Amino acid sequence: MNYILPHTWSGSIQTVTIGATKQEGGTRSVSYEIGGDTDLPFMNRSGKKPLLAYEICDDTAIWPQVVRDAMPKGISDPASWAAYGEKTLKPDCIRLNLTSTRKPNSSDFASISATVQSVLAATTLPLIIEGSADPAVDSEVYIRCGEAGQGERLVLGTAEADRYRSVAAAAMAYDHIIIAQTPIDVNLAKQLNILLRETGIPDNRIIIDPYTGALGYGFEYTYSTMERIRFAALKGDDDLAMPMISAPADSLTVKEIRESDSPSEIAVSWERATAVASAIAGAAILVVRHPGTVLPLRTAIDALWEGSRREVSDGA
Amino acid sequence: MPTVTFLPGFQKVEVPKGDSILSAARKAGLPVNVVCGGIGKCGKCVMFLKSGRTEFDNQRYEEFFTAEELHNGACLACRTYVIDDCQVFVPEQTLIQSQQILIDTLGHTVDLNPSVWKYHLQLKPPTLDNPISDLDRLLDGVHDAGGPVDKRIYAPLELLRRIPSVTRESGWNVTATIALVPGGYRLIHIEKGDTRKKMYGAAVDLGTTTIVVFLRDLTTGQVLGVTSNYNRQISCGEDILSRVNYGKLGGFPKLQALAAESINAAIQTAANAAGVDIDDIYEVVIAGNTIMTHILMGIDPSYMIHEPYVPVVRRALSTSASRIGLSVRPNGGIFIFPAVSDFIGGDIIADILASGMTGSSDISLMIDIGTNYEVVLGNNDWIFACAGAAGPALEGGEVLFGMRANPGAIEKVSIDPATLEPTFSTINNSNPLGICGSGLIDILAELLKACVIDRNGRINTAIPHPRIRPGPYYPEYVLVWKEKAGINKDIVITENDIKNLIMSKASTLAACTVLMNVAGITRTDIKTIYFAGGFGNYINKDHATTIGLIPEVSIDQIKNLGNGAAEGANMALLDRKKRKLLNEIAEKIGYIELNATPSFMDEYTRSAFLPHTDLSLFPTVERALQQCRIRVVNP
Amino acid sequence: MALKPLEIYKLLPKKNCKECGEQTCLSFAMKLAQGKADPASCPYLDSEAKAALSSQTGAPIAKITIGMGSRMITIGEETVFYRHDKTFYHEPAIIYRVVDTAPAEEITALAARIREEKITRIGIDLQVNGLAVDLGSGSLKQSVTAVTTANEGGDIPLVLQSEDPEILKACLAVCGNYNPLICAATEHNYRELCDLAKKYDAPLVVRAPDVEKIGALSKECMGLGIKKIVLDITGADSGEYLSRATLVRSLALTRTAPELGFPILLDCSGSVPDNIVTGIVKFASVLITPQLPVAEMTTALVLRQNIYTDPQKPIQMTPGLYRIGDPGPDSPVFMTVNFSLTFFTLQGYLEAARVPCFLLIVETEGMSVLTSVAAGKLNESVVAEWITKTSLADEVNEKKLIIPGYASPLSGRIEDATGWKVVVGPRDAADIGRFLTEEWK
Repeated sequence: MNYILPHTWSGSIQTVTIGATKQEGGTRSVSYEIGGDTDLPFMNRSGKKPLLAYEICDDTAIWPQVVRDAMPKGISDPASWAAYGEKTLKPDCIRLNLTSTRKPNSSDFASISATVQSVLAATTLPLIIEGSADPAVDSEVYIRCGEAGQGERLVLGTAEADRYRSVAAAAMAYDHIIIAQTPIDVNLAKQLNILLRETGIPDNRIIIDPYTGALGYGFEYTYSTMERIRFAALKGDDDLAMPMISAPADSLTVKEIRESDSPSEIAVSWERATAVASAIAGAAILVVRHPGTVLPLRTAIDALWEGSRREVSDGA
Repeated sequence: MPTVTFLPGFQKVEVPKGDSILSAARKAGLPVNVVCGGIGKCGKCVMFLKSGRTEFDNQRYEEFFTAEELHNGACLACRTYVIDDCQVFVPEQTLIQSQQILIDTLGHTVDLNPSVWKYHLQLKPPTLDNPISDLDRLLDGVHDAGGPVDKRIYAPLELLRRIPSVTRESGWNVTATIALVPGGYRLIHIEKGDTRKKMYGAAVDLGTTTIVVFLRDLTTGQVLGVTSNYNRQISCGEDILSRVNYGKLGGFPKLQALAAESINAAIQTAANAAGVDIDDIYEVVIAGNTIMTHILMGIDPSYMIHEPYVPVVRRALSTSASRIGLSVRPNGGIFIFPAVSDFIGGDIIADILASGMTGSSDISLMIDIGTNYEVVLGNNDWIFACAGAAGPALEGGEVLFGMRANPGAIEKVSIDPATLEPTFSTINNSNPLGICGSGLIDILAELLKACVIDRNGRINTAIPHPRIRPGPYYPEYVLVWKEKAGINKDIVITENDIKNLIMSKASTLAACTVLMNVAGITRTDIKTIYFAGGFGNYINKDHATTIGLIPEVSIDQIKNLGNGAAEGANMALLDRKKRKLLNEIAEKIGYIELNATPSFMDEYTRSAFLPHTDLSLFPTVERALQQCRIRVVNP
Repeated sequence: MALKPLEIYKLLPKKNCKECGEQTCLSFAMKLAQGKADPASCPYLDSEAKAALSSQTGAPIAKITIGMGSRMITIGEETVFYRHDKTFYHEPAIIYRVVDTAPAEEITALAARIREEKITRIGIDLQVNGLAVDLGSGSLKQSVTAVTTANEGGDIPLVLQSEDPEILKACLAVCGNYNPLICAATEHNYRELCDLAKKYDAPLVVRAPDVEKIGALSKECMGLGIKKIVLDITGADSGEYLSRATLVRSLALTRTAPELGFPILLDCSGSVPDNIVTGIVKFASVLITPQLPVAEMTTALVLRQNIYTDPQKPIQMTPGLYRIGDPGPDSPVFMTVNFSLTFFTLQGYLEAARVPCFLLIVETEGMSVLTSVAAGKLNESVVAEWITKTSLADEVNEKKLIIPGYASPLSGRIEDATGWKVVVGPRDAADIGRFLTEEWK
């Protein structure tokens, strides 16, 4: 007897292109098209393999201790960090977290432009930028990021329901992609996408961040929210059809790691497990911070998807 | 004890030192507007100290006043404590005024079938040949006059004592009053001569805040008078919960007495106006929420507010007036509406009766909105109901310039999408003092249509316009400039106000959706939406739909039930057959506990958006918003 | 898809006879829809209605147990594809594998590890569940010795891994009465294995190269009277497993292929950690793996606990007074609800802020702040009750309570009911650090 899956889907995931090669007006060595899937994330090797992003920052003061301890020596600035990441860990993209903007009364906006430019120069990979978290400086920060990366089709984060206008404006003005983050709720994710669309952001410029809770501390909510988003998209809900990004950074600061004798081992295990589960739930971009996570995560993802990640163009 | 004198009316009361001005005001019978319950949070009980000494921390509460007001002795009555004799001026807006309490109703025509009858009898005096007893003689007469057979009529002792004198003194020309009671009939009065025309009844809506009484002639069905009063229990607590807590400390007898007193006062007023002797009122029908009717009947309701929330009685109750302290005909019948749960009480059953929704297979949705809401969905075959907390925002609470529907309240608002200038009207055309519920709904809808707020309720502060400004705590939209306002401040709506309003409306809409999901119906299956209570009469139905307070149906499908509780009580007073229906309705209702419904929170989040996350559920609103957007973007 | 109350109501006699114990047919229908009543309690259901209602009841995936006693494993009985549709019921069993050539001390030590090692989270002990003995030595004696050693104590559930009926027969003679999982029947040995399974009434794994053949074999075994089946659908890698698991679960839930209505087994040996993650999130009921390092074991147990948490019944914290760091009489006091996620999030940010403080957790039946405010579960009396119960006033000099931002509507009432001064904290726990530095003192 031949078994056939009892479901069919009417919707598909919106495609979003990130990064821009020379031909596309940027300087990246590669750009990626994510999304486009028409079935559950792993079904019969269909769909695209999720991208792996290695995350760095410009001020390690608030970076997880376990990651700081694992940092290779000799890295003194975001640019050298990005270069190390690209060369040694071979991720698909770099995420630059502008943690310096989280300091109270941060106002050194000129250095933000410089940091972004230096990182763009140090890596050939598409760049995701996590900007400020304070409405008071949002506008300045996002304009600098947008400007510094003009033409590179950056992924700019993070828009939230109560502070999305600045990042949306920068993404529109300088032609970037936007990350829309909501606190682990399918309906809130949908609402934010609607708000962004109503400000004029086209659907193919939005990536959903449903927020990745820490393993053991609410990750199950994230997992289900991602499944619900993917399910809704496949059922034809355009408001939820954007690809998703998952950054399991919260799993790196949990008590189990802080109190462990071998924190690095647990950190890599937890970060990887959270990322794999997120991928199975539908994440298109997996962002990790621990350098030890990138390679085993790559193996895990390869085992799930025999691949079919389409590289839009080769910038060489 | 210090004496407090309230100006301008010169009401004087003595209170112990250290009592609050608010409790003094209540003692003096002043209906002070206290939204927060008298804990210094709402800033509504503003008064001005004119002389004497009090204690008031004006720094702590300075947010509520302008410097000028403070200079003039402004204080919050609830947080001002009496030290010596003092004089306090009470501004008009501090008092709950002739509030718009609903006394008009849909005007059902019901058959006149009261459960009391008067029989005028010319009896033959007893003789040696005909020595049957006075009572049997009387009851035989009743039967001969078309009344029930005597065996089924119970005659209480008080009346037996009256029979020999009344019959003989009147020359055996008497009027007997018989009432239908559970299990049979009861002789409730005997009078000399023909008093058939003097047979009255009262229908009562016993609310937590307000009591409405209809006085009706039971021989013609005519309404002789309508009065409303504040429920005097307010002095023991603003809301139901605080009254139950008061009761638990031994206060239930007082609460019972106050409820009876409030009803008596309203009945007396109506009777006086109509020239009716309250002794000729033979029946009182009461619809009220479950806690209120329990208290009135002297039944302890305190177990009901805890899990598993079980009322002591669900079925309809009957008793006689004297047993619960109502000063109508002492043997007069009291009929109390049945209840379903702690939240779905006799008032809601009365709403359902008044709506007639159980009379046809068409599906109706009925919503009663206040601080709490009750939602009922059903038809002649099935009924589901639920209740929940909406928060006070839709009644003007938790909103910076919110107020009840008193004179001076902004009740209607429109905003020009091109200029963003508002036009508004106030109750009684007084100077604007604040915004009431209907005004708030208008503002929300108009700001949305003008693209001043997004569908999340956030004010777009990037719009360069003097009325849109960052505000001290939250972004705000200025509705009335200080110069035009009846208070010495700009009247604004803040983003926080909007958030509170959205939370209130989301809860209500989510409750509707949960019931629709339980029944497996969609909005297109709903034939009629009824608004019960005062709320529906004043709101702009179009705007209520635009903000997603209720599921979208066409405007002509939305009906105001008005005071359904009073209407239902009236129907049951005039037509005893309706009472049987009440128990049937109450039994039929499937009560949905929202807390135990996992999908409620999901629906709540979906509804916490204007009008709803899924615009396809609001097709007309969707089109309207598209058109507005075009107009705003290209004025 | 479950029937809605009204759809069920239409099938009922509408007599309101109360014989089912409910007041009305409608309330009976509501109970049926929630799975809290049995259609059989209605004496007046016609056969058609009974059939319609009964097809809705009973789990589409069989319930199976492995082992006996306090460590007995229960799997199966699942009813949904997505955990958010209702919940996943029975956590997958994680089984450590040992080869029968291992020295007896090693087997004993592994059994002891399974018996004793646990991590405790939110008051729940998390443990690996059982021991699989790989009977691959080819020596009957060695296999029997290994199984005998593994079964010492009789408490640890066993999986006997062999396709050789003779070896299984001999090993079952040792442990067959302890309800071990026989692993596995193939198209070559299934008749003999079915006989063994029947003899000991033990659960049986069926194994074949693809899902079609697994289904066919399962059908054969069912035909031989076997009711306790576990499907080994391990594929070449985690991707193949996922596709197979999705297919099997979907067909089982739609009841289109009763031969697939059994729990799933995944042998994780290929790429252990990632296979375990995949198996836990997607439908596996038995996971066989070489023993795990502590880090990987912790990850697997915690992920399993997460995924098998009932999404409609959030994990609750025990209400009470918690201490972050070493707070003193002048430390701030935070109050929040007993929803575990809220607690953990807040705890994390408070620890990160490095300000010692008290954390008062009040009983809200595990609801979040927003939900419990909306539902009235978080109210002034609850706060007052827990302030009293914890004797909070004895801990601090100043009666000042920081409440969650979303509870701000309650601030006045809490002040009134408790006599404590209420400070409204941030809505988002992430702002706690800033709140403590900027707004607190």
